[in-house]
Amino acid sequence: MFFEFMQGLDQIEITSGLTLLSLLIGGIIMGVGVLIARTVKLLFTKYYAPKLSQDSAKNLGKLLYFGIIVISFLVFTSTTGVDLSGLLVAGGIFGVVIGFATQSVVSNLISGIFLMIEKPVKQGDSVDLPGLGISGTLLDISTFSARVRQFDGTITRIPNESFFTTNIRSLSSTPVRRSEALVGIAYREDIDGAISVMEKAIRNQMPYALILPKPDFRIKELADSSVNIEVLVWHPREDWDQVSPKLLKVLKNALDEGGIEIPFPQRVVWKAKE
Amino acid sequence: MSELNSNYTNYGVYEIDDDFDCIFPKTDVKFRKIGENVFSYFRSDSEDKTIEKMIPTKNNKIRIEIAPIRPLNHPSHRTSYVYLELETPVFLSENSHAKIFARCPIEIGVFLIDGENKNSLDFFTCDPLNSRFGLYGTPESGTLCKYAKSEIVESLDDSIPYKNAVMEINFGNELQGGHSISKVIFPITENSVYYDKSRAIIDSISAVIKKKLTIETIDVSSDKVSTNWTESPTYERKELVKKLNMGVD
Repeated sequence: MFFEFMQGLDQIEITSGLTLLSLLIGGIIMGVGVLIARTVKLLFTKYYAPKLSQDSAKNLGKLLYFGIIVISFLVFTSTTGVDLSGLLVAGGIFGVVIGFATQSVVSNLISGIFLMIEKPVKQGDSVDLPGLGISGTLLDISTFSARVRQFDGTITRIPNESFFTTNIRSLSSTPVRRSEALVGIAYREDIDGAISVMEKAIRNQMPYALILPKPDFRIKELADSSVNIEVLVWHPREDWDQVSPKLLKVLKNALDEGGIEIPFPQRVVWKAKE
Repeated sequence: MSELNSNYTNYGVYEIDDDFDCIFPKTDVKFRKIGENVFSYFRSDSEDKTIEKMIPTKNNKIRIEIAPIRPLNHPSHRTSYVYLELETPVFLSENSHAKIFARCPIEIGVFLIDGENKNSLDFFTCDPLNSRFGLYGTPESGTLCKYAKSEIVESLDDSIPYKNAVMEINFGNELQGGHSISKVIFPITENSVYYDKSRAIIDSISAVIKKKLTIETIDVSSDKVSTNWTESPTYERKELVKKLNMGVD
């Protein structure tokens, strides 16, 4: 009964050389292929992926999955006897058209591969992309794009080509970072006294400011209304938010408490004698 | 020792079945019984920070341990290394050895005892101005450390209660020619802290100047101290810390 049914299927020809039976067998091969691909990916994710970096594990998992599916498809075409030569000729012409149309897609793919090989930054790093105006934490680099969670909580997807060709400033590859602030004091004030007041305030009120290298104070400019002092403070790389946004406030309060004037812009006008 | 106020609470294990106050320099810790089988924990410190926690219990009492711990948690855990800058550098002549006692900052840990387990409830420092970070090396590739100026003292008993502990440092110089040592950088996670009433000591370290190939380095390693003082529970999670290659000045 079963064999008769199969023979019946074998006699139903869809196109030249492709019968309903061979299509059924092909479908089974593809189904088994997908099943194997999923199992391999599952085993890989469970046993091998934890030993690799998250980016590599994700991409290798995809490579294994789609590799097995492509092999299954090739087995399917060879067992069913589908002649792909016509498709290849048509594909050659079609490929040129597709090539032009998908230029940016391929470019993103190639850039993604180079990003994975070069690894200028890794997942979880804080990055600043000045060319794109994006700063945040790198979530992942996948086949066509990278995702960055910006410090305002939003997630930005960046095409790999843009990510690869722009300047990348890594904010977390060194153990410490430096924050800067510029304060102006009146010309009549004692510069050393003002520096001493600010130094003491940083030491007492900023637990994340490094003692060594100690905060640096540089006379930046003898400006129109004030002597401008640049204050440079080092801190652990994770604690930018504990230092940089608070630095000016600490300095301002310290100068106020020390009775040191932060002058308003002022201009002396001399009236010429007639 | 002159700073010691006899009203301050000693380190040790306490069984609490009612309200209990602990007093430390610039820091107050209060346990309050707020209901059947529920206590509250409250801390206020010199930086105007307060912490409050509820402690549900199985019965009407709790056991706590107050102990000195490694100085790695305040203001946040960022490193396992300590950078001690000796206030007076030690000069070692050719092939010589020297033993000194130096002060090392500590923090105070509060642990909740549940059978054999000691769970960390809180930590704080009584000397926040000396609980700061420093960098050993360059900003590009240096090592972030907890930094402290260290005073050389006469014996293990000379710690300032609640603020620091004393550790023995054994220096050695295997080089030809004399050298000064003004700082010691080491992963303190290998050193245990011990206490007796309000004083504390830390496992000793050895710092030997030697030549590795063509580079002169200071090889720092930890040694267990032999004492009958009580060993403090560990506050931080155990993690593998790389030994640092310290250069000679």
